[in-house]
Amino acid sequence: MTAAGATRSRRDIDASIGMVIFLATVTMLFAALLLAYAVLRTQAPAWPPAGAPPFPRAAAGGSSLVLLAASFALRRARRAGSSAWLRAGATLGVTFLALQVSLWRHLVAGQLGPGHGPLADVFFALSGFHALHVAGGLVAIAATGKRRLGLLVTYWDFVAAIWLIVYFAVCVL
Amino acid sequence: MTAPATPTGPVEGGDSASGKRASGDDGQPIQAIHAAPTGVLRRYVFSVDHKVIGRQFLFLGLIFLAVGGVMAMLIRWQLASPGRPVPVVGRLLFGGSGGVISPAAYTSLFTMHGTIMIFFAVTPILIGGFGNFCVPLLIGARDMAFPRLNMLSFWTMAASTATLTASFFVPLGSAQAGWTAYATLSTAIGAPGTGQTLWTVAVYLNGASSVMGAVNYITSVVRLRAPGMNYMRMPLTVWGFFLTSMLNALFVPVLGAAMVLLFFDRVFGTQFFVAGSTIRGGGDPILYQHLFWLFGHPEVYILILPAWGIVGDLLSFFARKPAFGYRVTVASLIAVVVLSCVVYGHHMFTTGMSPLLGESFMLLTMVISVPTALLFLNWLGTLWRGAARMTTPMLYCVGLVFTFGIGGLTGLWLADVVADMYLHDTFFVVGHFHLIMAAALLLATFAAVHFWFPKMFGRMMSERLGKLHFWPTFISLNLVFIGQMLIGYAGMQRRLYDPSAYDFLRHLLPWNKHISQAAYVLGAFQLVFVWNFFYSMKRGKPAPANPWQVGTLEWTVASPPPHHNFDHIPVVVRGPHELGHPAAIARGKDWLAQDEVIE
Repeated sequence: MTAAGATRSRRDIDASIGMVIFLATVTMLFAALLLAYAVLRTQAPAWPPAGAPPFPRAAAGGSSLVLLAASFALRRARRAGSSAWLRAGATLGVTFLALQVSLWRHLVAGQLGPGHGPLADVFFALSGFHALHVAGGLVAIAATGKRRLGLLVTYWDFVAAIWLIVYFAVCVL
Repeated sequence: MTAPATPTGPVEGGDSASGKRASGDDGQPIQAIHAAPTGVLRRYVFSVDHKVIGRQFLFLGLIFLAVGGVMAMLIRWQLASPGRPVPVVGRLLFGGSGGVISPAAYTSLFTMHGTIMIFFAVTPILIGGFGNFCVPLLIGARDMAFPRLNMLSFWTMAASTATLTASFFVPLGSAQAGWTAYATLSTAIGAPGTGQTLWTVAVYLNGASSVMGAVNYITSVVRLRAPGMNYMRMPLTVWGFFLTSMLNALFVPVLGAAMVLLFFDRVFGTQFFVAGSTIRGGGDPILYQHLFWLFGHPEVYILILPAWGIVGDLLSFFARKPAFGYRVTVASLIAVVVLSCVVYGHHMFTTGMSPLLGESFMLLTMVISVPTALLFLNWLGTLWRGAARMTTPMLYCVGLVFTFGIGGLTGLWLADVVADMYLHDTFFVVGHFHLIMAAALLLATFAAVHFWFPKMFGRMMSERLGKLHFWPTFISLNLVFIGQMLIGYAGMQRRLYDPSAYDFLRHLLPWNKHISQAAYVLGAFQLVFVWNFFYSMKRGKPAPANPWQVGTLEWTVASPPPHHNFDHIPVVVRGPHELGHPAAIARGKDWLAQDEVIE
């Protein structure tokens, strides 16, 4: 192995250790948010809360598929080293954010916006904060491009997994 | 008592006295040597050098330490002379009320005093400042694992301080919900102004900065230790920062979650922390306390662990003998870290917690005193029959041992559910908390500043001024905080605007006056430190490479170290506390450097 090769692989290991620690912190953040959700839900006399309009599960589920597709595209980009797949991943990420924004607008119009009961509050806060992490992933794509594809894939897989957990916990359970 | 600074033996150049060294650079082109940047901006402002970033954190923290300290003086003025105009600065600060601190201003003062001291003084000084400066140097690395992330960490902290400062200038003023920001005092109902929102954002950004630092410190310690620097050869200082970073990485995000939900409550109108109706369900103010203390109890260990590490090293260095029970100390630190995750409920005994749960938290909290006591005994064991050099850093360390002893013991009272029911929310809590989080941490800070100042700035601080600062500080600290515990035991609640308005507290007014007088003395003598700090930076005696004659790696390079720290990555062959080693004595000195080869 050449000296340059050895250097690169060592820096890569450093970077993945740093990434694991960072993801541990984000995990704790979402774990705490889900704990808050669990506390509110167990204290509520009925769930979904009495008088709340039905929650549009299917619409939220649709955006889940888009986020998964973004993750898939980035994996392809890593394997093929292709800019086209990277752009596709970024586009799908932007689409996910757009879908979330339109979902929030729909929820606010349908008496399920913030302040309309605990279910609406929980979904709004968790999906909103999650969307910020997706936006952070888009910034990372813009900033690093193809240089850090391994780390990007790790991060996007993680963000997609967090979203699936949030969706399952809040919208399905 | 021996003479200060350079007590015995030849120190000229420091390095020459330390024998041969091996280089760990061979076949390991891992940490490249970058040329020092020449532009002023890249060198002093947007630097990626851990030594510069450490100093940036240190200065930022010291500025806010002064701001928080002035706030403490104003709080003490109100408690000693309720409703009287503040002398000198009163008209300037409280012009609207004729120089008198209004109830709202008082509430804001104690809120911001706590916030600033915890998040904007101690955190940047100890963790940001000394963590950054020490970790790479003490493990034999050329920089942190992620230098640019390190720079981002500092500038996130700077953005956080700017946000907090801005909160003073908005309508209705800054936050007034206490440093703990309990709901519903902190929700839009209890605090309608923008100040509390900015506070929430500032605390979140502050946490983000801490997490970035934690990612860097952990990765650096795991990956960049010099060859031979195994975990059991790391200085205790590095252990302290390493473990603190783990707690930071795992528990600061929980505070982040609380801040996110509080922000949503305040800005978007959600109701996480607003009590809901029994029909529809809804928010829960106690939920905020759970989230806050899930973070809040580890936080006190986040702050004290670096101090413990530093003191563990310094006591050994200045007692001129190896740290007593190094392995037990490390094990105790780890045990404290683990236990700190499961004790937070002791902050919430009075919230209507199930007695069974309260009892569990009480037992777990008391268990934490076992590793802490081992740590304490190891300090005493280190001092025992040592050839102590009572230099200024040593004085601060011994002072810390004393205040930490009292502060730690009174923690047991508060851990006990029955005693806590009475003592909760009194000045007893304030005194206990300050003995550890203010007195012990400040003494550790001063010890660290005096100890590493030569390495940071290439000059020695004045020992004479250091002692002139230590004794009045140490005595008045104890008078203030032990006094607070006494009046708290007598029943005085915290956060009262004017305790003398209540019949049953009126007889405590003279006590409050005396405590305040001690506090003014404490405040005044900090000017000695400020003078010593800046004067020494310009005019201090030039520091040799190893003024304290100790063996950790930072003292094997010049003061201040070159941009890349080590010309050759050192190869470590022994632990950090080899003082009084026979092989060293045979060479006419009493310490061995960690990378010194004996033939």
